[in-house]
Amino acid sequence: MRREPVLDVRRLNKSFVLHAVSDRTVVAFADINFTLSAGEHVALAGMSGAGKSSLLKSIYRTYRPDSGEVWLQIHAGEYVDMCSLTDAEVAAIRGHEIGYVSQFLRSEPRRGALEIVARSARQRGMTDHDAREAAAAALHRVGIEERLWDVYASVLSGGEKQRVNLAAGTVHPPRLLLLDEPLSALDPENRERALTLIASLTHRGVAVVSIFHDLEAIQRLASRVLVLEKGRLVAERSPDELDERLTSAAR
Amino acid sequence: MTNDVEYGRYPVARLAVPEWMLKVERLGRVYGPYDDTVIASTGPEIGSSKSAVNGAVVAAWDVSFEVAAGEALGLVGESGSGKTTVLRCLAGDVAPSCGEARLRTTEGDVSMFDLDSSARRRLRIDTLAVVYQDPAEGLKMNISAGGNIAEPLTAAGWRNFGKIRDRASELLTRTEVPINRMDDLVRSFSGGMKQRVQIAKALANSPSVVLFDEPTTGLDASVAAGVLDLIRSLLEEHRIAAIVVSHDFSVIEMLTSRCLVMQHGRVVENALTDQLLEDPHHPYTQRLVAAARA
Ligand SMILES: Nc1ncnc2c1ncn2[C@@H]1O[C@H](COP(=O)(O)OP(=O)(O)OP(=O)(O)O)[C@@H](O)[C@H]1O
Ligand SMILES: Nc1ncnc2c1ncn2[C@@H]1O[C@H](COP(=O)(O)OP(=O)(O)OP(=O)(O)O)[C@@H](O)[C@H]1O
Ligand SMILES: [Mg+2]
Ligand SMILES: [Mg+2]
Repeated sequence: MRREPVLDVRRLNKSFVLHAVSDRTVVAFADINFTLSAGEHVALAGMSGAGKSSLLKSIYRTYRPDSGEVWLQIHAGEYVDMCSLTDAEVAAIRGHEIGYVSQFLRSEPRRGALEIVARSARQRGMTDHDAREAAAAALHRVGIEERLWDVYASVLSGGEKQRVNLAAGTVHPPRLLLLDEPLSALDPENRERALTLIASLTHRGVAVVSIFHDLEAIQRLASRVLVLEKGRLVAERSPDELDERLTSAAR
Repeated sequence: MTNDVEYGRYPVARLAVPEWMLKVERLGRVYGPYDDTVIASTGPEIGSSKSAVNGAVVAAWDVSFEVAAGEALGLVGESGSGKTTVLRCLAGDVAPSCGEARLRTTEGDVSMFDLDSSARRRLRIDTLAVVYQDPAEGLKMNISAGGNIAEPLTAAGWRNFGKIRDRASELLTRTEVPINRMDDLVRSFSGGMKQRVQIAKALANSPSVVLFDEPTTGLDASVAAGVLDLIRSLLEEHRIAAIVVSHDFSVIEMLTSRCLVMQHGRVVENALTDQLLEDPHHPYTQRLVAAARA
């Protein structure tokens, strides 16, 4: 029997109207359909500009899709369509159910790593005390040493920021984890740690949609690969039959 | 919110979202006589909030929003777009021309614009506080910091001198004003310190709604940063419903989760703050964001 999906993206479209450039329309992606089950990891591949990041941001609703549906399971058997929720509802769902880890730390001025990660844990419904403990554990997992915990995150190195980001997105296993090149600035040792962390989350039932710029990460973590070309979903591949040219490393 | 439509094959979950604490509907404020023609002769499409028909200024029109406890709503827009007007109508400093504002209190919902002036004053004392851009508006300069804070406390019925002083020093400590300055006249304080005293005073009676009008505009960057950090942590500590007015997107980004964009007295866009910053739709919002990012 087929499992109920955690995520069901249907006929999703996103374009931008740039009013400063004589109302030019830029299509980020069009007619995207796919589903994802618990414990499944699907990677998005395609050339630079294919629409991968836009698709992740549209699922998270940082981008507002033009049309389509994004069904997300929030508790056993019940769903919400991220595209038809009110802003307040989106905010509530995000904090609770979705982890979004981008390549760059979202600039949070004058906050330390521990505070950033603990805040994310509190949004998941943890008490202050539990959130701090969970945050400490999450920072240890990604190899951020204690001496860096109360330093303003804005002054951390690129790789450290990326790991703080990963810790915040995974501090409490979300139902859905969205990863946009989360390892791009990591050295081999930390990269290995992060790969292990992501694999263990998938193992625990987290559904993952990811973008990696290297084939190795995709092949180690993903069970399926969706190939985007100029905003269209053109193929679904197994990670082993993926071509080097289809990862964004090709740019 | 309840969602009883069943889309496709999925059972739709009911979401528990915090209910509004302050709900504003079709708020308007016009300086000068007006009718439909006057209103129609202003706004973003026309490019002005001043009517060419009769010179009336439609400072704010058709402004609606809700804010929940524990939530901060941003109000952005360039100079003259109507942000302060909206705030002042809610604060009771300016009479609205039309619209409704409802406030949820322990004694039930209150229609703010229908209250008489004494009930209005009471509300300002114990439920709704304002932090103005200019500390001279929120504070008496020739009174001490402690005296300024004592004012809303005595107005709320505090009589015990010792308790009032304790509360004042607690608030000053929280807002990081040195306690040994408690008896100094506010006029002798630096800009950032005045703003902190104003915030301490606003919090005196633990209001459920706080309105901030450009709370850091005009302060030196490093001083502004400290005041912003203070506001951010206060908003996280207390379940306040806040409105933050600013023309500065970095302030809005740091303090708010949702935001209205105003231009020429109208709300032109309304979205989650990250959406406005990363995917602005309205031409005016796109210009504002581009300017902030430059
Ligand atoms: N906020 C935005 N405003 C305007 N256009 C955008 C925006 N975000 C993305 N686009 C456009 O949408 C298209 C897809 O971009 P996207 O960032 O999704 O590509 P990508 O596949 O993630 O590329 P890369 O591998 O380089 O990160 C591009 O043409 C891009 O310029
Ligand atoms: N008492 C008044 N009489 C006439 N017009 C007024 C009065 N008060 C405000 N206005 C006008 O209402 C409009 C909106 O002003 P408001 O102070 O709300 O703008 P704002 O968005 O807060 O601007 P800023 O960023 O400069 O503070 C402006 O055109 C202003 O000149
Ligand atoms: Mg990208
Ligand atoms: Mg103003």
